[in-house]
Amino acid sequence: MGTSSGPKLSGMQKQVLSLYRGFLRAARLKSPEDRRQIESIVSAEFRRNSQQVDRKNFLYIEYLLRRGKKQLDQLKSPDTVGMSSLYLNLHQPTNHKP
Amino acid sequence: MASVSASCLRFHPLLLHSNQPAQGSFKLVSVSWPKSWFPSLKATRFRVSCAAKPETVQKVCDIVRKQLVLSPETLLTPETKFSELGADSLDTVEIVMGLEEEFNISVEEDSSQNITTVKEAADLIEKLVQKKAEAGA
Repeated sequence: MGTSSGPKLSGMQKQVLSLYRGFLRAARLKSPEDRRQIESIVSAEFRRNSQQVDRKNFLYIEYLLRRGKKQLDQLKSPDTVGMSSLYLNLHQPTNHKP
Repeated sequence: MASVSASCLRFHPLLLHSNQPAQGSFKLVSVSWPKSWFPSLKATRFRVSCAAKPETVQKVCDIVRKQLVLSPETLLTPETKFSELGADSLDTVEIVMGLEEEFNISVEEDSSQNITTVKEAADLIEKLVQKKAEAGA
């Protein structure tokens, strides 16, 4: 496709989108109900980070990418049914205890 | 004898004109060439630029509407950019994934990032569907 009308994406943005695609692909292999749940959790997580993470914070984004890839590998395993427990752990650091 | 000199000339006419005066017999052939040359070039250009089928475009529109949760009165033409509808790159990934499932195809990542309009999506889909049909036949 010779169109240059699309936004020029950085290498890191492409990695993030590729990871997102990977999650959505993995979700297809689960039961319809689990799939919907996984999709909503993954979508919320990516959107939350896209809003909250400074796009110049490369180290942190790289960390998130690494973490996401590991989670994706876990999700791909047929033994993994859903995502909820996986993400409960990850959300803890943001809930600061008084 | 004449046919041999003609097949050689095919590649040289421009050079012959600029570098050295062509010999009498060569000149005769080189003049007659352009007439058969240009029409064939034009024909191939027209064939490449065929548009996607209306039903494909319509299907793509439906999926885009569903994916972006557009209201029925939102105007959506084949040329509308997804970004104009408020879609970000994550939405575009979702749209392409939805199209993959609907049309039972697999879009490569490189080409999926170039899709910005319904028309571009429909053109790519038809290309992939056709490629798949050829591979399966």
